[in-house]
Amino acid sequence: MARIVLRDLVKTFGAYTAVDGINFEVKDGEFLIMVGPSGCGKTTTLNMISGLETPTSGEIVIGNAVVNDLEPGERGLGMVFQDLALFPHMSVFENIAFGLRVKRVPEDEIRRRVVAAAEAVHIKPLLDKLPRQCSGGESQRVALARTIVTNPSVFLMDEPLSSLDAKLRVDMRTELKGLHRRLGATFVYVTHDQAEAMTMADRIVVMNRGRVEQLGTPLEIYGRPASLFVAGFFGTPTMNFIEGTIEAEGAGRLFRSRAIAHPLPASVPAALAGRSVVLGVRAEHVFVEKEGERRGEVRLTEPLGDATLVFFDCGLPTPLVAKAPPNTPLAPGHALAFRFAPEHCHLFDAVAGTRLN
Amino acid sequence: MKAVATLTAEAARARRLRRERRRGIIRHAVLLVWTAVVLFPIFWMISTSFKDAGEWVTWPPHWLPHSPTLHNYAQIFAFSEMDPSLSRQATEQAFSIWKGLGDAAFICTTSSLLALLLGTFLAYAISRFNVGGRYFRHLILMIRMVPPIVVAIAILMYYAIMIPYATSSLLGVQISLFDTYTGLILLYTVTTLPFVIWMMLSFIDEVPYTLEHAARLMGAGRLTVLRRVVIPLVASGMVVTFLFVFILNWAEFLLALTLTHPEVTTLTVLLNKFQSASEGRLYGPQAAIGTVITLPVVILGILIQKHLVKGFSFGTIRK
Repeated sequence: MARIVLRDLVKTFGAYTAVDGINFEVKDGEFLIMVGPSGCGKTTTLNMISGLETPTSGEIVIGNAVVNDLEPGERGLGMVFQDLALFPHMSVFENIAFGLRVKRVPEDEIRRRVVAAAEAVHIKPLLDKLPRQCSGGESQRVALARTIVTNPSVFLMDEPLSSLDAKLRVDMRTELKGLHRRLGATFVYVTHDQAEAMTMADRIVVMNRGRVEQLGTPLEIYGRPASLFVAGFFGTPTMNFIEGTIEAEGAGRLFRSRAIAHPLPASVPAALAGRSVVLGVRAEHVFVEKEGERRGEVRLTEPLGDATLVFFDCGLPTPLVAKAPPNTPLAPGHALAFRFAPEHCHLFDAVAGTRLN
Repeated sequence: MKAVATLTAEAARARRLRRERRRGIIRHAVLLVWTAVVLFPIFWMISTSFKDAGEWVTWPPHWLPHSPTLHNYAQIFAFSEMDPSLSRQATEQAFSIWKGLGDAAFICTTSSLLALLLGTFLAYAISRFNVGGRYFRHLILMIRMVPPIVVAIAILMYYAIMIPYATSSLLGVQISLFDTYTGLILLYTVTTLPFVIWMMLSFIDEVPYTLEHAARLMGAGRLTVLRRVVIPLVASGMVVTFLFVFILNWAEFLLALTLTHPEVTTLTVLLNKFQSASEGRLYGPQAAIGTVITLPVVILGILIQKHLVKGFSFGTIRK
């Protein structure tokens, strides 16, 4: 049983509050990813779970026990660090064996388990090498093997893929996901890369300024962001944001900004009428048409292969972006008409940034 | 056209090569002269150590001994105070260096090892736990700015008067640190400790703390982390540091002169005795001792050359 519960966790460094009272539970066997910009408190949270940082207040429960006062080594965790933290003076074998040696496991069992761990991540031929003789991807696997070998029930990972090149990173994502399925252990993973979080996580915790902005499945977070921050952090290209107000016209609702007006679904509460809001809509929910009442002019196109991003001006301070089919004839300077998919329009409070619909 | 261009380019290249070679020759000539200037005193010392008494101060000087002799060495390595075969006018006294060599080796090795051990742990604490606050690491070296002469007499008072007095009146047993191995070892340990801390700090700072975090997460306690991770990574630095403070202690003169006599004698103090010997200046044995003092340091340096190179090039740990 390796669930993790964080209760009112706070960490301050002098006057600076790194983690500001967070609460969430990581379920047994779950792959949970904490994501957020630099300085949002995600690594500090991970370090508190690992025991490398002591919480200023609050409780950490692993399994059924409060572990606040346990040493890192007593918590039954394995951790992969951002810089991998392989011991440069030890062979790959000794690196992997380190945890077992500390626990005084018999020599023949050490050998058996190190070889098994090395085989699990395909690095058996490297066992006699030194870390500096391994490539980036190989070092990554050594770090994984070193964590696997002690059979921890919880794996903590602090941006472990950040030092790899783009292609290898994508390959390792698949591999990590496979590893999680095979081991059935609880994974807590920290990254600032929203794509990594989307592709690997069972659930995502989005953090900002030491607080949890949203906790949910990748699709929930992408499809129903709880705040302006989450909406802007997830998705490429960034969601379109337009400031304006909501008007109620009988049963219908209308969003009106300086440059455009757009109908909203009737599900938007009438009570929101008159509120200053930010309307958010993703590029794939902006439809480019030949004719229509809302018009704009193409400023730039970015072909992605499977689609083309069309950036266009429509009288707003920043251009909007739409995802058009790859063979779109639109080019800079062309006129276009556009509309949004009303059911995919997100409304956020203009001041607090919280979700309204 | 093309051929002409190639020719000019080649000529330019040849000119550049010639210029570089000329510069190289000048550079090496300057360095050779400088090396000669620097090494000359050592050459002169070694040469003199093989000269007979008559050759020490002749004019014009004898660059190399005309009748090389091992007499000076025989004299300093003599096992008895007066060996009749070594007796000779102006150098009738045989100064054995065995005692001085043994004392110096024991005192320097012990105090350097002690300072290294203490200093490494202290540096670790300062590096990792910020002991003493932000500026402590800079303050440490300031202790060394105090000229030894300032403390020498004060320490003498402590060693020779206050400690014996205090211990005899409080404990009933008179303990004196004056003219003892312990006294000098303690003092050498303390005086070199700032250097050890300072040097080891730069090495320990280089060890990424995530290595220690990783080890601790795998269940290693603080001491295991130090023993299995930190110390092996700074081992080269420790060797360099040891050599550095060993040389400092090996060459220390003032404190040894002030705080010892006649029981404990280090080589530098012994060397000084030749200077004021009633027989005049005994350049030959003095040069022989000088050579003998230099040798261990040179041999040590050669033995640990690998560590020296590694230790002096910081940042060897891949992060």
